[in-house]
Amino acid sequence: MSFQEKNIVATLTNFSIILAFYLFRIFQMVQTDTFTSTNLFRLWGIVALLAVIGTIVVTIFTHIVGGIVHKVKTNEDPDIKDIQDERDQMIELKGTKLAYTFSSIGVALAMLTFVLGQSALVMFALIIFFGVLANIVADLWRLNLYRKGF
Amino acid sequence: MTTSRIRNNIRTLRFHHGEMTQQQLAEKVGVTRQTIIAMEQDKYSPSLELAFRIAQVFKVPLEEVFSYQPEEPST
Repeated sequence: MSFQEKNIVATLTNFSIILAFYLFRIFQMVQTDTFTSTNLFRLWGIVALLAVIGTIVVTIFTHIVGGIVHKVKTNEDPDIKDIQDERDQMIELKGTKLAYTFSSIGVALAMLTFVLGQSALVMFALIIFFGVLANIVADLWRLNLYRKGF
Repeated sequence: MTTSRIRNNIRTLRFHHGEMTQQQLAEKVGVTRQTIIAMEQDKYSPSLELAFRIAQVFKVPLEEVFSYQPEEPST
């Protein structure tokens, strides 16, 4: 598994945990009748922070661990410039394109629930749900491209 | 498995150039070893610039490294 694949797996794990946490908190709020705008927007803040900080931490951690493993295996210093080449950039772009498409569809679906009579809170809850899910789908697609080619 | 219609002789050319390793070729053309592996397995079509760099390493014309397999017309 290449460095990029390891990084994707790490990010995928991070976003899966965030999604699980988000769904758990939403269901908890619904069950305890605390599904209010204040609680929902606080949860938005937590999810956004976890996504940003988690991604940074996971990337740094993968770099460090990857570098140590490379040094132990080959007894050579890892070459940072070789970490991402044109194929990696192409795969990243394809993943990003899919993430944008998926999240756009998600936002449209969320707005549709509002049009069909659901509360605005449901729409906002769905928007962030699809946002996080889009990242997971994009990472899975990137992994697929690494494995099967394109 | 998704394969490209662009075929290449990179593996053969490496063999004829002193059994050059994938890592050595990757370093000479400035990509990762995984990209060389993907190209050899026809899982990735390189950019034109990378294709020229590979041909330059082996000191052969581009068409000796890469060839295009047109899609078979459906009957």
